[in-house]
Parts: sequence; C-alpha cells; structure tokens
Amino acid sequence: MKGDDAIITVELEGRKIKVPAGLTVIEALWDTGHDVKRGIGCLSGLCGACTVAFIEKESKKVRFGLGCQKVIEEGMNVIMIPCFPCRAARYSLEAMENPLEKLKELYDELYTCNDCRACNICPEWINVAGVMRAAMAGDYESAAAHVTDCIMCGLCASRCPKNIAPHYVALYIQRALARERPSPPNLGNRLEEIESFRYDGEWSRVAAMDDEALKEFCASMVGR
Amino acid sequence: MYPQAMCDLIDIVDGTREKRKGEAIERLSAEELKALLARYHPDYREAAFRNLRVGVNRGDRTTHEIADLLEAFSDLDHSKIDLRPEYDTDVLVLGGGGAGVTAALFAEGMGARVVLATKLRLGNSNTIMALGGMQVSVHESDSPVRHFADTMAAGKFAGNRKLVKTMVEDGPRIVQWLLDLGVDFDRDGEGNLAVKGGGGLSAPRIICIGDYTGLNIMKVLKDQIRQVEGIDVFEFSPAVELTTNEFGECNGAVLYDLGRKRHFVVRARAVVLATGGSGRLHMQGFPTSNNFGATGDALVLAYRAGVRLEGVDSFQYHPTGVMFPEHMVGVLVTEALRSLGAHLVNAKGERFINELETRDACAAAIIRECERGNGVGTLSGAKGVWLDTPLLEETQGKGFLKGRFPSLYRHFMRVRINISKQPLLVYPTLHYQNGGILIDEKGETTVRNLFTAGEAAGGIHGRNRAMGNSLLDIFVFGRRAGLAAAKRKYNEAGNVTLNHVHRYYDRLKALRISSTAKSPTLFPEFIVNKL
Repeated sequence: MKGDDAIITVELEGRKIKVPAGLTVIEALWDTGHDVKRGIGCLSGLCGACTVAFIEKESKKVRFGLGCQKVIEEGMNVIMIPCFPCRAARYSLEAMENPLEKLKELYDELYTCNDCRACNICPEWINVAGVMRAAMAGDYESAAAHVTDCIMCGLCASRCPKNIAPHYVALYIQRALARERPSPPNLGNRLEEIESFRYDGEWSRVAAMDDEALKEFCASMVGR
Repeated sequence: MYPQAMCDLIDIVDGTREKRKGEAIERLSAEELKALLARYHPDYREAAFRNLRVGVNRGDRTTHEIADLLEAFSDLDHSKIDLRPEYDTDVLVLGGGGAGVTAALFAEGMGARVVLATKLRLGNSNTIMALGGMQVSVHESDSPVRHFADTMAAGKFAGNRKLVKTMVEDGPRIVQWLLDLGVDFDRDGEGNLAVKGGGGLSAPRIICIGDYTGLNIMKVLKDQIRQVEGIDVFEFSPAVELTTNEFGECNGAVLYDLGRKRHFVVRARAVVLATGGSGRLHMQGFPTSNNFGATGDALVLAYRAGVRLEGVDSFQYHPTGVMFPEHMVGVLVTEALRSLGAHLVNAKGERFINELETRDACAAAIIRECERGNGVGTLSGAKGVWLDTPLLEETQGKGFLKGRFPSLYRHFMRVRINISKQPLLVYPTLHYQNGGILIDEKGETTVRNLFTAGEAAGGIHGRNRAMGNSLLDIFVFGRRAGLAAAKRKYNEAGNVTLNHVHRYYDRLKALRISSTAKSPTLFPEFIVNKL
C-alpha cells in the first residue's frame, strides 16, 4: 500500500531497481526517470496504449496487463510492449451489401484458428478464443456482444500463432452488424420532424425571448 | 482491497442503508444552490484566479494555471526553426480524439487533402473515457427545444444560444451518421435508440453503448480513418506553435516529432484545432479524470495567434472521481450510478444532497462535507465521501452492477473491491474545461482559417456542462469545422511566419512579464506527486 514507506526491488525494462511499493508500472517508470510517452494514454485503463508483460516472483508464467493498472510487486520482472503490428483489412462498409458475408474474404486467417486459446490473456477479461469460435461459427451476435469492452490493446494478436488479429476481426463484426440493424424508429421520426420544420415556430419564439423570459421558459420545461 | 480502518467506516454506511432507502432529499432552491456554489465550488474560490494581463482577453479572469501558460514564452527557439513547410496540405487537423477525427473524415469527404497530427496515438483522448453516454433528443417526450432549454439552464445561461441551438439541432443527424458508420448504440425492445435520464435533464435523452460509449464510437472512427485514402496521420507529433501568413490568417503549424526529436512545419489552407482540454494542469491541485495529454495546448497556441477565449474561468469538477485506491485517483465513476439512485453518503452515514442535482452542485456539496469534517479519510490523508453502490444491488436486483456496469465492476475487482458489496470512496475530479476558444456556428475562431472543435472550443456549455453534451458537441462541431475548413482548400495559404508570436512576445516584454513557465506544456511534468 502507498502511504507506508516500503521499498521493493523489481526488474524494470531489464534493470534491477528499487521503487516505492504501491506504484503502477507506469508510475514506477516515471519514478525511476524513464521518459515514457509512447506507451501512455488515458491512465484509466481504457485506451490500451500501455500494454506490459511481466513475470511475478517465482512464477514460471509470463503474464500480461496494462501498465497504468498493474501495481508492481516485489521481485516482478516487467517490460512495456510497444504497439504490436497486426493486419487490419481495408474495406468500405458503405459499398457492401452484406458486409458479414465478406468476413471470410477480408480475414481468411480467422478460419485457421485451432482454438489454442493463447489469446485468452485479455486485460479486459474477454474470452477472446470464445469470440473467435463464435465468429467462425457465424454466431456474429454472440461474438459482438462479448467485445463491447475491447480496448483494442492488441495483446491477443501478439499471442496468436496464426497471425489473427482478434480485435480487428471483432471490430469488423461489430460494425457490420450495426449497419445491418434497421434504422431506429424514434430517430427517424425526429429527423423527419426537423426536416419538416416542425420546431421552427418554437425556435422563433425562443429567439425572441430576452434573458429573463428564456430563464422562465427553461424553468417551465423542467416542470412539464 | 480496503484496509481494515476503512472497512470499519464502511460498516457505518451499511448500517444506515435501510434507513436511507426511505429518505427523500429535497432539491435545492435557486438561492440555496447559489449559496452552496459560492461557498464551496472551486470556480468561486477567488484566490485561485487572476486577470490576464496580455492578449485579446486582457482583463478577463482565469485560473493561475492557465494564466501562467498564456503569459509565458515558448521553450522553442523560434530563430532556429526552419519554417519552410515539409508538408503542404489543404486541411491540417490537430488532435486525434473524437472532434479531430470527425473533422478529418468530413474534410476528406469533401475532397480535401488532410493531415491529422496528434500528440499521442490516434484515439488516445478523453473521448474514449466518455463512459455515460451522449445526449440527443430522440425520445417522443423530448424535443430539440427541450434539449436546448436544459443545456442553457445547466450552463447558467452563459452559453451562446446560437451554438447551443446548432448543437441540439444537429444532434439527431450526427447520430444517424454514426449509425451509418457502424456504431452500435443500445436499442430498446422496439429497435428504438434506448434513452436514459440524467442529472438536470427534463426528458430521457442519454443514448449509450453499455458503459463504454465513447470508446466504442472512437474504435469505429479510428477504423474508418484507416479506410479512407486522403488522410495522413502523424502520431506522436504535437503542435508546438501555429503559423500565420502576412495577413495574420492561420496557415499551418509547427509540429514536434517526439520520436526523432525535431520540429517540422505543415502548411495548410485551414487548420482545425481539436487538441482537447486542460485537466492535466490539475487546476487548484485537484485530481483529474483527463488523459495524459490534456495540457491546454490549444488555448496557448490559439491565444498567441490572436483568438478570443470564452469562459476559461469555468471548469467542471465531476463529483465522483475515485479517491481509493490511490493509483486510480481521479478516474471517473459514471454519473449513471447516481441517476439510478446510488446515494452519496458522508462519514456519519448520512446523505447530504439530492444526487440528481447538477454536477457542480453535487461536487460543491461533497467539498462542503469534507471541509466540515464529515469526510472519510484514507491512509494517506486524502478525503472523500462514499458512493453507496451496494444500494443499487439491493434496489435493482442481485448482479445488476456486474451486468450493467461491467467495466467499472472489473476495474475495481482488479484491486479486490467488489462494488456490489462495498461502496466507493469519491471526491470531485477535474473533468472538463467549460470554456475555451470562442467559435461561431461553422466552428471558426476569431482568427481566419483557424477552426476549433471539441473541448478546446468554448461558448457552448456556459458555466456548467450537462452530462452527455460533450460527446455530442465533439461530433457536431467536429463535422462543421471539417466541412468549413475543407471549403478553404482553394485559398492561398501564403507565407509561413511566426509573426504573431513575435508580436505577442513584444507585448509580454513591454509589460515586463518575464515568466519562467514555458508553454505549451505538452506533457505534465511531475506526475508521481502522489508519493
């Protein structure tokens, strides 16, 4: 915990170094004078810029996480992973009739997935392999439903032996599905109202109001 | 995981929950609200402000943090910069968040060549952190006029009527554009856009994508920018100065290549400044919910070029920023929890404000409780109040929080805090720059060919922004700025100069202002100050 003055020893970017306990990986890098900018974004665990790999003390397993969220611990060996290269397909959704049918063409490597589950290291706890299984089986709704929380950090793609970029595959499915949904009736109605100048009378009344009248008008809105 | 001392304090919250369920707290009257804000809201703390001594807004009030930057010289030795443009384009967009990317996409759609430069990675912005949702009047009980009224009232009638009208009227259209791009907003049973209520809204108006609204929009926009041909994206290239021609019109920018540590110039027929707000200046020492790059660069660059600023003495302190654990300090807890009925509770286990009051009122009330000694302390001496999330689990059903707020739930599970069983410690966090660079309906500033969109722009939100209006504003004015900027593509850009900077420096020197501050800030200097 921060607040007590414990100092721990960690291996940071390949260097053994002492840092105060309770810092995140990024804070520890700053604290030790590293000028990190590439791997930093929102500092809230949402932008996916600060992916890290680490081995905990006496563990055999390399684990993955986000540098702004992972709190370092005694004996941890940790590095930042620069943005991992992955292939994003080029397409024009507007030009496609049934974009979902094009998935195979755009991301044919998806269908070489043998469910090794190496990609299940998601810092957002997404079952990436499960999403890829659903995508291959054509259960796109289920695939899309599980990736709303994907922050596009690309860690899953960095582990895939088949060069699949699960985050891009899933994003394509999300976009394609959204395009296929019927237009929302309430939005359609409102657009029609605006285009037929339905509110113009009210707008001109508002435009003519002085500040006091506007305040009264706004107060009456809340009451209505 | 909460330390034992804090667990004991949580017992008090648990103990009063049953009693609080039946309690109704009256909304504040206009006078009470005024008194509360005047006494406790940071915007009213006179010692934190001063009047600008130089520039277009001379005499206007702003925070010391911003005044320090505006009354400063640049780090850059202007005499050593080669102003011959390395790139020549139609539209230069500065900033890679929602507003910038939208402007770039619309400008490109008009046939303009676009360069988009951003300080960090494309999409690393406050847009992705917009959790709660976006205001747009689509519900049948709602109307654009009603949206206008709520926005004006929330902003204490300081917002510009024309800009607010523009925003609310364009709202439904911009949502249609997002849907066409493949943004999957949540729907109700009939396929309508699902709408939620919120603080200060007179009709349900918040549309969302789970609790990751901004992120999911930004993912799609980023994907779209990859698909179009006419946009060059320069990442890790913050703008350090705008350039002007012999007529004082904006015609490009000096960028700094962080990787190769060198400056280069992009000349353009029009510039869209969309570099966001200034939360990382940590106004008055408050924690912030803003991303790493939000250092108010737009204000500095544009002010030297001669723009008028509007309302840069008004900031939004979001009432519920995380106070514990410490590495998450400042991170936002969505307002939706309060909308749904989560209580704000002080150390004695009492409520002290109607949670549906606007953000400024809730923030001021929390500060009041802490100053009165009713705050909850952490081990490091920070103070906050409880946001009673387990209450929602009781009123809305078991598993509600995990299902409805999966990201929030997970972020706290990582640190072994179960929000369905334990309340969250919160304190106001610096969230939004209400004012900014004054724009017109096209998004153009008072300097010709310089456009601004997003949080950098001012005049829309008055003195308090309603929930969900910034996510709307970035797309509406991003689009407008992009379209208007693209139309300037037949302009003569003219010679690239820094004459405006030299003029500005002359005025600083004439006033014997010799600040040691350097601006723009680009990156917050001293981050690990929580130690």
